[in-house]
Amino acid sequence: MAISGFEGFEKRLELQFSGDDPMISLGLRRLDFESIEEVLDAVQCTVVSAVGNLFFDAYVLSESSLFVYPTKIIIKTCGTTQLLKSIPPLLSHAHHMGLRVCGSRYTRGNFIFPQAQPFPHTSFREEIIYLEQSLPTDLCYRKACVMPSKLPNQQYTWHVYSASDEYHHIEQMAPDMFTVEVCMTELDRVLARKFYRRLVDGNSGDVAGKEMTALTGIGDINPGSLLCDFAFDPCGYSMNGMDGTRYSTIHVTPEDGYSYASFECVGSTEDDRNLIGEMLKKVVQVFRPATMSVSTTGTCVSQDVWTRVKNALEPLGLSCRSCVVDEFPAAGSVVFQTFTTRRK
Amino acid sequence: MAEEGQVIGCHTVEAWTEQLQKGNESKKLVVVDFTASWCGPCRFIAPVLAELAKKLPGVIFLKVDVDELKSVATDWAVEAMPTFMFLKEGKIVDKIVGAKKDELQQKIQLHAAA
Repeated sequence: MAISGFEGFEKRLELQFSGDDPMISLGLRRLDFESIEEVLDAVQCTVVSAVGNLFFDAYVLSESSLFVYPTKIIIKTCGTTQLLKSIPPLLSHAHHMGLRVCGSRYTRGNFIFPQAQPFPHTSFREEIIYLEQSLPTDLCYRKACVMPSKLPNQQYTWHVYSASDEYHHIEQMAPDMFTVEVCMTELDRVLARKFYRRLVDGNSGDVAGKEMTALTGIGDINPGSLLCDFAFDPCGYSMNGMDGTRYSTIHVTPEDGYSYASFECVGSTEDDRNLIGEMLKKVVQVFRPATMSVSTTGTCVSQDVWTRVKNALEPLGLSCRSCVVDEFPAAGSVVFQTFTTRRK
Repeated sequence: MAEEGQVIGCHTVEAWTEQLQKGNESKKLVVVDFTASWCGPCRFIAPVLAELAKKLPGVIFLKVDVDELKSVATDWAVEAMPTFMFLKEGKIVDKIVGAKKDELQQKIQLHAAA
């Protein structure tokens, strides 16, 4: 294990908004670029590329991703970004548009290099204090929890903080949808090398990113989505996928000693039963991690979903080491499963 | 010419057809930006495109709003924005879907020189 290196593990923030205007239509998508830049400046990252469709805008950032829907924002950043500092400017801009936050969820795994993290990410306790102070008091239902795994040295734990107002708490937002957040470490060395730029290719990061998507098999995970991909110099890769209303995203830190990859997507209980399992299988085949976690969040998440995840991964040699479920305001159920390839 | 060095907005089907014709006859590289007023990524790339138009008078830059010219957007199968079409003498030589600064510059240089 390296003494220090790039932190692949992301911090993820999701904010849900509501307004008095019943015809919200564009909502947050109306935010001008200067306002988005202001928010990203607070977090210390920049836009690398972006694309939008009828339903949402997706931005590939220097350190991960941003998704803007009319009444929902998802920001996921890695490295030593100060993600929570995005909250004050975001709430301020939303307020000017007549929108107020009605639900929030913050999640992250365990940092590989926790000492390198700046305030307020120095500890979960500091993060909670910052969240408590930044979110308005009408989000009266709040919960914070560290979900454990049975892995040694507390390698993999899942931190969740969520808050909801009275109405959001009762109302079901998109009841059939759930989010899947996958974290992978100790990536197969040979496969990880595919995420290094070729020495003298003269290509832009966008063009090199497209090549990496094809070469690594990432393009086959969900062939129906439109991808916005980028290859960093000398190594590293980011991708946002767009499929109707659903986003997906992959981020890779390939360096040996602290290799990491994440995959996130949206599923529905109305989908083909095997869809999520098939996607996870393809993801594992791209990276072949020694350890991984799968966190599934939604109001409709039942034992059926996490059993399907387990059944998809076990044939690939990944044994389920732990499975913990808990309920959170605004989020519904969060299931946290960990898998490893050998007895640890 | 007043139009050189600028991104030319096409607001009617007639204007679009006329500009396309002019572009094809000029044998210059034509870059079409399919954009939407409600799309954040289009706002991100707009200043980059304007800058490129200023620097490269030998390339024709056209802009089409997909709501204003719905039929054109459908004809050209535009589903995500911004979409950049590269045309030379009436033929599509390349396409970029998404606001990708570096790829845009790289491809313009490539096709303008060809």
